[in-house]
Amino acid sequence: MTAQDLAQDNRLGEKKWRRRSLWALLVLIPLTLAVEAYDSVKALLVDNDLFERRVAWGESAHFGGSDWKLTDLRGAFGMKNLPPGTVPVLADFAVTVGNPDLQNLWLGCKVMLIDAEGRRWLPTSAVRLNAPDNVQTCISAIFSGAKTGDVLNLRETFLVPKDVTNTIRPAVGVGSERPYFLLFQMEKD
Amino acid sequence: MRRLANLVLLLVAVALCYGLQMSKPHYADLIGPIPVRGKVGDVVVGRSFEVRVEKVQFARKLRADRYGETKVLTTGGVWALVTVEFAARDASTVVSTASWRGPTRLTYDHTERLSFINNGFLPVTVDPGLQKKARLVFEVRPEEVGNATVLISSKLLAALDSQAEISIGPVAASSDGMPAGTVDTLDLTQPVDGLPK
Repeated sequence: MTAQDLAQDNRLGEKKWRRRSLWALLVLIPLTLAVEAYDSVKALLVDNDLFERRVAWGESAHFGGSDWKLTDLRGAFGMKNLPPGTVPVLADFAVTVGNPDLQNLWLGCKVMLIDAEGRRWLPTSAVRLNAPDNVQTCISAIFSGAKTGDVLNLRETFLVPKDVTNTIRPAVGVGSERPYFLLFQMEKD
Repeated sequence: MRRLANLVLLLVAVALCYGLQMSKPHYADLIGPIPVRGKVGDVVVGRSFEVRVEKVQFARKLRADRYGETKVLTTGGVWALVTVEFAARDASTVVSTASWRGPTRLTYDHTERLSFINNGFLPVTVDPGLQKKARLVFEVRPEEVGNATVLISSKLLAALDSQAEISIGPVAASSDGMPAGTVDTLDLTQPVDGLPK
Protein backbone atom coordinates (compact mmCIF):
# COMPACT_ATOMS: atom_id res chain seq x y z
CA MET A 1 0.00 0.00 0.00
CA THR A 2 1.44 3.36 -1.01
CA ALA A 3 1.36 6.54 1.04
CA GLN A 4 -1.23 7.96 -1.37
CA ASP A 5 -3.60 5.03 -0.82
CA LEU A 6 -3.21 5.39 2.94
CA ALA A 7 -4.07 9.10 2.79
CA GLN A 8 -7.15 8.36 0.68
CA ASP A 9 -8.27 5.64 3.13
CA ASN A 10 -7.89 8.10 6.00
CA ARG A 11 -9.96 10.70 4.20
CA LEU A 12 -12.71 8.19 3.48
CA GLY A 13 -12.68 7.03 7.10
CA GLU A 14 -12.88 10.63 8.29
CA LYS A 15 -15.84 11.35 6.02
CA LYS A 16 -17.64 8.25 7.21
CA TRP A 17 -17.14 9.17 10.86
CA ARG A 18 -18.13 12.79 10.32
CA ARG A 19 -21.40 11.59 8.80
CA ARG A 20 -21.94 9.11 11.64
CA SER A 21 -21.30 11.87 14.20
CA LEU A 22 -23.82 14.19 12.58
CA TRP A 23 -26.45 11.42 12.58
CA ALA A 24 -25.62 10.68 16.21
CA LEU A 25 -26.43 14.32 17.09
CA LEU A 26 -29.99 13.68 15.98
CA VAL A 27 -30.27 11.14 18.80
CA LEU A 28 -27.95 12.75 21.34
CA ILE A 29 -29.47 16.25 21.40
CA PRO A 30 -33.03 15.10 22.19
CA LEU A 31 -31.59 12.58 24.65
CA THR A 32 -29.63 15.31 26.46
CA LEU A 33 -32.69 17.52 26.63
CA ALA A 34 -34.71 14.63 28.06
CA VAL A 35 -32.08 13.81 30.70
CA GLU A 36 -31.66 17.49 31.67
CA ALA A 37 -35.42 18.07 31.88
CA TYR A 38 -36.23 14.84 33.73
CA ASP A 39 -35.86 16.26 37.27
CA SER A 40 -37.76 19.45 36.45
CA VAL A 41 -40.65 17.58 34.84
CA LYS A 42 -40.75 15.14 37.74
CA ALA A 43 -40.82 18.02 40.24
CA LEU A 44 -43.57 19.72 38.25
CA LEU A 45 -45.71 16.59 38.34
CA VAL A 46 -45.00 15.54 41.92
CA ASP A 47 -45.38 19.01 43.50
CA ASN A 48 -48.50 20.28 41.76
CA ASP A 49 -52.17 19.44 41.63
CA LEU A 50 -52.63 19.49 37.87
CA PHE A 51 -55.26 16.98 36.73
CA GLU A 52 -58.66 16.76 38.37
CA ARG A 53 -60.61 13.61 39.15
CA ARG A 54 -64.24 14.58 39.58
CA VAL A 55 -66.23 13.02 42.39
CA ALA A 56 -70.02 13.18 42.09
CA TRP A 57 -72.05 14.57 45.00
CA GLY A 58 -72.67 11.98 47.71
CA GLU A 59 -70.10 9.55 46.37
CA SER A 60 -66.73 8.68 47.83
CA ALA A 61 -63.45 8.27 46.00
CA HIS A 62 -60.41 6.14 46.79
CA PHE A 63 -57.47 8.54 47.07
CA GLY A 64 -54.15 8.28 48.89
CA GLY A 65 -55.13 4.84 50.22
CA SER A 66 -58.38 5.99 51.83
CA ASP A 67 -61.99 6.70 50.83
CA TRP A 68 -62.84 10.41 50.74
CA LYS A 69 -66.35 11.77 50.87
CA LEU A 70 -67.48 15.39 50.98
CA THR A 71 -70.15 15.67 53.65
CA ASP A 72 -70.79 19.40 53.75
CA LEU A 73 -69.78 22.73 52.25
CA ARG A 74 -71.34 25.80 53.78
CA GLY A 75 -70.75 29.48 54.37
CA ALA A 76 -70.64 30.90 57.89
CA PHE A 77 -72.54 34.08 57.11
CA GLY A 78 -73.02 36.88 59.61
CA MET A 79 -69.64 36.73 61.33
CA LYS A 80 -68.21 40.00 62.59
CA ASN A 81 -64.70 41.44 62.37
CA LEU A 82 -64.05 40.17 58.85
CA PRO A 83 -62.95 42.21 55.85
CA PRO A 84 -66.00 43.51 53.94
CA GLY A 85 -67.29 41.32 51.11
CA THR A 86 -65.78 38.13 52.52
CA VAL A 87 -67.36 35.00 53.95
CA PRO A 88 -65.83 32.04 55.80
CA VAL A 89 -66.54 28.69 54.16
CA LEU A 90 -66.35 25.33 55.93
CA ALA A 91 -65.63 22.14 54.01
CA ASP A 92 -66.31 18.86 55.84
CA PHE A 93 -65.05 15.46 54.75
CA ALA A 94 -65.58 11.95 56.10
CA VAL A 95 -62.54 9.82 55.29
CA THR A 96 -62.54 6.07 55.81
CA VAL A 97 -58.95 5.07 56.36
CA GLY A 98 -57.75 2.20 54.17
CA ASN A 99 -53.96 2.12 54.26
CA PRO A 100 -53.01 3.59 57.67
CA ASP A 101 -49.59 4.85 56.52
CA LEU A 102 -50.92 8.41 56.35
CA GLN A 103 -47.52 9.98 57.08
CA ASN A 104 -46.31 8.81 53.68
CA LEU A 105 -49.48 8.66 51.64
CA TRP A 106 -50.94 11.99 52.76
CA LEU A 107 -47.68 13.92 52.80
CA GLY A 108 -48.26 17.51 51.64
CA CYS A 109 -52.02 17.11 52.03
CA LYS A 110 -53.72 20.19 50.60
CA VAL A 111 -57.41 21.01 50.73
CA MET A 112 -58.47 23.82 48.40
CA LEU A 113 -61.51 25.60 47.09
CA ILE A 114 -61.57 26.10 43.32
CA ASP A 115 -63.99 28.47 41.60
CA ALA A 116 -65.37 28.47 38.04
CA GLU A 117 -62.37 30.46 36.79
CA GLY A 118 -59.93 27.98 38.32
CA ARG A 119 -58.77 30.30 41.11
CA ARG A 120 -57.66 28.42 44.23
CA TRP A 121 -58.04 29.30 47.91
CA LEU A 122 -56.09 27.62 50.68
CA PRO A 123 -57.34 27.29 54.29
CA THR A 124 -57.17 30.49 56.30
CA SER A 125 -55.86 31.21 59.75
CA ALA A 126 -57.78 34.51 59.91
CA VAL A 127 -61.00 32.82 61.02
CA ARG A 128 -61.23 30.54 64.03
CA LEU A 129 -64.49 28.71 64.59
CA ASN A 130 -65.17 26.29 67.38
CA ALA A 131 -65.39 22.69 66.23
CA PRO A 132 -66.27 19.44 68.03
CA ASP A 133 -63.32 17.53 69.50
CA ASN A 134 -63.41 14.76 66.91
CA VAL A 135 -62.96 17.16 64.00
CA GLN A 136 -59.43 17.39 62.60
CA THR A 137 -57.68 19.08 59.73
CA CYS A 138 -55.99 17.14 56.97
CA ILE A 139 -52.53 17.80 58.42
CA SER A 140 -53.45 16.94 62.02
CA ALA A 141 -55.11 13.72 60.84
CA ILE A 142 -51.78 12.55 59.41
CA PHE A 143 -50.42 12.33 62.95
CA SER A 144 -53.61 11.01 64.57
CA GLY A 145 -52.51 7.37 64.43
CA ALA A 146 -55.72 6.38 62.65
CA LYS A 147 -56.11 2.68 61.84
CA THR A 148 -57.68 0.88 58.91
CA GLY A 149 -61.45 1.25 59.03
CA ASP A 150 -61.46 4.40 61.19
CA VAL A 151 -63.58 7.28 59.93
CA LEU A 152 -61.90 10.66 60.21
CA ASN A 153 -63.95 13.85 60.26
CA LEU A 154 -61.91 16.55 58.56
CA ARG A 155 -62.80 20.20 58.41
CA GLU A 156 -61.00 23.05 56.70
CA THR A 157 -61.95 26.71 57.01
CA PHE A 158 -61.51 29.18 54.16
CA LEU A 159 -62.10 32.87 53.61
CA VAL A 160 -63.40 33.72 50.14
CA PRO A 161 -65.06 36.68 48.40
CA LYS A 162 -68.86 36.56 48.72
CA ASP A 163 -69.40 36.54 44.95
CA VAL A 164 -67.67 33.17 44.43
CA THR A 165 -69.64 31.20 47.02
CA ASN A 166 -71.93 29.75 44.32
CA THR A 167 -69.19 28.42 42.09
CA ILE A 168 -66.54 27.13 44.51
CA ARG A 169 -65.90 23.40 44.73
CA PRO A 170 -63.67 21.69 47.30
CA ALA A 171 -60.60 19.81 46.12
CA VAL A 172 -58.02 17.59 47.81
CA GLY A 173 -54.45 16.79 46.80
CA VAL A 174 -52.00 14.45 48.57
CA GLY A 175 -48.36 13.70 47.83
CA SER A 176 -48.86 10.07 46.84
CA GLU A 177 -51.46 10.91 44.16
CA ARG A 178 -50.03 14.05 42.55
CA PRO A 179 -50.37 15.32 39.83
CA TYR A 180 -53.98 14.10 40.22
CA PHE A 181 -56.36 15.68 42.71
CA LEU A 182 -59.98 15.13 43.71
CA LEU A 183 -62.54 17.76 42.72
CA PHE A 184 -65.81 17.27 44.56
CA GLN A 185 -69.00 18.19 42.74
CA MET A 186 -72.01 19.70 44.48
CA GLU A 187 -75.58 18.42 44.50
CA LYS A 188 -76.66 20.94 41.83
CA ASP A 189 -73.84 20.05 39.39
CA MET B 1 -3.40 24.47 3.55
CA ARG B 2 -5.96 22.29 5.32
CA ARG B 3 -4.08 22.64 8.61
CA LEU B 4 -4.08 26.43 8.22
CA ALA B 5 -7.86 26.42 7.55
CA ASN B 6 -8.43 24.39 10.72
CA LEU B 7 -6.32 26.82 12.72
CA VAL B 8 -8.24 29.80 11.37
CA LEU B 9 -11.52 28.05 12.20
CA LEU B 10 -10.30 27.41 15.76
CA LEU B 11 -9.29 31.05 16.20
CA VAL B 12 -12.68 32.23 14.90
CA ALA B 13 -14.42 29.88 17.35
CA VAL B 14 -12.31 31.19 20.25
CA ALA B 15 -13.05 34.80 19.24
CA LEU B 16 -16.78 34.01 18.97
CA CYS B 17 -16.85 32.33 22.39
CA TYR B 18 -14.96 35.22 23.96
CA GLY B 19 -17.35 37.71 22.36
CA LEU B 20 -20.34 35.76 23.67
CA GLN B 21 -18.82 35.59 27.15
CA MET B 22 -18.20 39.34 27.21
CA SER B 23 -21.48 40.50 25.71
CA LYS B 24 -24.12 38.08 26.97
CA PRO B 25 -25.86 38.45 30.36
CA HIS B 26 -24.60 36.46 33.33
CA TYR B 27 -26.47 33.26 34.18
CA ALA B 28 -27.69 34.80 37.45
CA ASP B 29 -29.22 37.67 35.45
CA LEU B 30 -30.87 35.31 33.02
CA ILE B 31 -32.67 33.37 35.73
CA GLY B 32 -33.11 36.38 38.04
CA PRO B 33 -36.40 38.00 39.00
CA ILE B 34 -38.53 39.40 36.18
CA PRO B 35 -39.28 43.06 36.98
CA VAL B 36 -42.82 44.43 36.79
CA ARG B 37 -42.56 48.19 37.15
CA GLY B 38 -45.02 50.78 38.40
CA LYS B 39 -45.33 53.84 40.59
CA VAL B 40 -47.15 54.79 43.77
CA GLY B 41 -50.89 54.23 43.31
CA ASP B 42 -50.54 51.81 40.36
CA VAL B 43 -51.74 48.23 40.61
CA VAL B 44 -48.62 46.26 39.74
CA VAL B 45 -49.58 42.80 38.52
CA GLY B 46 -47.02 40.03 38.96
CA ARG B 47 -47.32 36.32 38.23
CA SER B 48 -48.76 35.24 41.55
CA PHE B 49 -49.81 38.46 43.29
CA GLU B 50 -50.72 42.07 42.62
CA VAL B 51 -49.77 45.01 44.78
CA ARG B 52 -50.60 48.70 45.03
CA VAL B 53 -48.57 51.14 47.11
CA GLU B 54 -51.03 53.37 48.93
CA LYS B 55 -48.71 55.76 50.71
CA VAL B 56 -45.15 56.25 51.89
CA GLN B 57 -44.38 57.82 55.26
CA PHE B 58 -41.15 58.66 57.04
CA ALA B 59 -40.52 58.76 60.77
CA ARG B 60 -37.70 59.11 63.26
CA LYS B 61 -39.26 56.58 65.64
CA LEU B 62 -41.80 53.77 65.52
CA ARG B 63 -44.14 52.76 68.30
CA ALA B 64 -45.24 49.13 68.40
CA ASP B 65 -46.81 46.73 70.90
CA ARG B 66 -44.70 43.84 72.05
CA TYR B 67 -46.33 41.26 74.32
CA GLY B 68 -48.57 43.91 75.83
CA GLU B 69 -45.90 46.56 76.41
CA THR B 70 -45.29 49.49 74.14
CA LYS B 71 -41.91 49.62 72.52
CA VAL B 72 -40.34 52.60 70.78
CA LEU B 73 -37.86 51.80 68.02
CA THR B 74 -35.30 54.48 67.21
CA THR B 75 -32.94 54.56 64.26
CA GLY B 76 -29.70 56.20 63.18
CA GLY B 77 -31.27 56.87 59.78
CA VAL B 78 -34.94 57.21 59.04
CA TRP B 79 -37.85 54.75 59.04
CA ALA B 80 -39.61 54.41 55.70
CA LEU B 81 -43.09 52.97 56.09
CA VAL B 82 -44.84 51.83 52.92
CA THR B 83 -48.54 50.96 53.18
CA VAL B 84 -49.51 48.46 50.49
CA GLU B 85 -52.53 46.50 49.40
CA PHE B 86 -51.98 42.95 48.16
CA ALA B 87 -54.17 40.40 46.40
CA ALA B 88 -53.34 36.98 45.02
CA ARG B 89 -54.02 36.28 41.35
CA ASP B 90 -54.82 32.61 40.66
CA ALA B 91 -54.12 30.91 43.96
CA SER B 92 -53.53 31.72 47.62
CA THR B 93 -49.90 32.60 48.11
CA VAL B 94 -47.45 34.22 50.49
CA VAL B 95 -45.58 37.45 49.85
CA SER B 96 -42.49 37.26 51.96
CA THR B 97 -39.76 39.66 50.88
CA ALA B 98 -39.37 43.35 50.19
CA SER B 99 -36.43 45.69 49.92
CA TRP B 100 -35.77 49.37 49.40
CA ARG B 101 -33.36 50.31 46.61
CA GLY B 102 -32.04 53.84 46.95
CA PRO B 103 -30.99 56.16 44.10
CA THR B 104 -27.37 54.97 44.40
CA ARG B 105 -28.60 51.35 44.21
CA LEU B 106 -27.81 50.72 47.87
CA THR B 107 -30.42 48.13 48.81
CA TYR B 108 -31.96 47.79 52.27
CA ASP B 109 -33.82 44.63 53.25
CA HIS B 110 -37.14 44.79 55.07
CA THR B 111 -36.44 45.35 58.77
CA GLU B 112 -36.38 42.35 61.08
CA ARG B 113 -36.78 44.52 64.17
CA LEU B 114 -40.57 44.19 63.96
CA SER B 115 -40.65 40.41 63.57
CA PHE B 116 -42.49 40.13 66.88
CA ILE B 117 -45.63 41.48 65.16
CA ASN B 118 -47.30 38.73 63.18
CA ASN B 119 -50.18 40.58 61.59
CA GLY B 120 -50.00 43.15 58.83
CA PHE B 121 -46.28 42.70 58.20
CA LEU B 122 -44.31 40.35 55.96
CA PRO B 123 -44.77 37.50 55.35
CA VAL B 124 -48.37 38.13 54.28
CA THR B 125 -50.75 35.39 53.17
CA VAL B 126 -52.89 36.64 50.30
CA ASP B 127 -55.90 35.10 48.60
CA PRO B 128 -57.50 35.68 45.17
CA GLY B 129 -60.15 38.40 45.16
CA LEU B 130 -59.40 39.49 48.74
CA GLN B 131 -57.49 42.72 49.14
CA LYS B 132 -55.17 42.70 52.12
CA LYS B 133 -53.33 45.67 53.51
CA ALA B 134 -49.85 45.42 54.95
CA ARG B 135 -47.01 47.64 56.05
CA LEU B 136 -43.51 47.37 54.70
CA VAL B 137 -40.92 48.92 56.98
CA PHE B 138 -37.36 49.84 56.03
CA GLU B 139 -34.60 51.47 58.01
CA VAL B 140 -32.65 53.58 55.52
CA ARG B 141 -30.20 56.45 55.27
CA PRO B 142 -32.00 59.79 54.68
CA GLU B 143 -30.13 60.41 51.40
CA GLU B 144 -31.38 57.06 50.04
CA VAL B 145 -35.01 58.14 50.24
CA GLY B 146 -35.62 60.20 47.08
CA ASN B 147 -36.14 58.37 43.76
CA ALA B 148 -36.00 55.04 45.52
CA THR B 149 -37.62 51.81 44.34
CA VAL B 150 -39.48 49.33 46.52
CA LEU B 151 -38.91 45.73 45.40
CA ILE B 152 -41.49 43.13 46.41
CA SER B 153 -41.42 39.43 45.62
CA SER B 154 -43.11 36.36 46.96
CA LYS B 155 -39.93 34.41 47.64
CA LEU B 156 -36.44 35.36 48.77
CA LEU B 157 -34.91 33.82 45.66
CA ALA B 158 -37.38 34.93 43.03
CA ALA B 159 -35.66 33.07 40.17
CA LEU B 160 -37.71 33.53 37.00
CA ASP B 161 -40.59 34.85 39.08
CA SER B 162 -41.95 38.36 38.88
CA GLN B 163 -40.75 41.07 41.23
CA ALA B 164 -42.79 44.25 41.66
CA GLU B 165 -40.56 47.30 41.33
CA ILE B 166 -42.42 50.40 42.46
CA SER B 167 -40.71 53.76 42.10
CA ILE B 168 -41.34 56.14 44.94
CA GLY B 169 -40.43 59.29 42.98
CA PRO B 170 -38.62 62.37 44.23
CA VAL B 171 -38.85 63.24 47.92
CA ALA B 172 -37.89 66.76 49.00
CA ALA B 173 -35.35 67.04 51.80
CA SER B 174 -35.84 69.42 54.71
CA SER B 175 -33.07 71.59 56.18
CA ASP B 176 -31.88 68.89 58.60
CA GLY B 177 -31.38 66.40 55.75
CA MET B 178 -34.45 64.35 56.64
CA PRO B 179 -37.16 63.75 54.00
CA ALA B 180 -39.87 66.42 53.99
CA GLY B 181 -42.87 65.39 56.06
CA THR B 182 -40.87 63.15 58.41
CA VAL B 183 -42.86 62.76 61.61
CA ASP B 184 -41.33 62.18 65.01
CA THR B 185 -43.17 58.96 65.84
CA LEU B 186 -45.39 56.65 63.77
CA ASP B 187 -47.84 54.52 65.67
CA LEU B 188 -47.97 50.89 64.52
CA THR B 189 -50.14 49.71 67.39
CA GLN B 190 -53.32 50.11 65.32
CA PRO B 191 -53.99 47.32 62.79
CA VAL B 192 -53.35 48.41 59.21
CA ASP B 193 -56.72 47.19 57.92
CA GLY B 194 -58.73 48.80 60.73
CA LEU B 195 -60.04 45.40 61.86
CA PRO B 196 -59.69 44.38 65.51
CA LYS B 197 -56.67 42.23 66.33
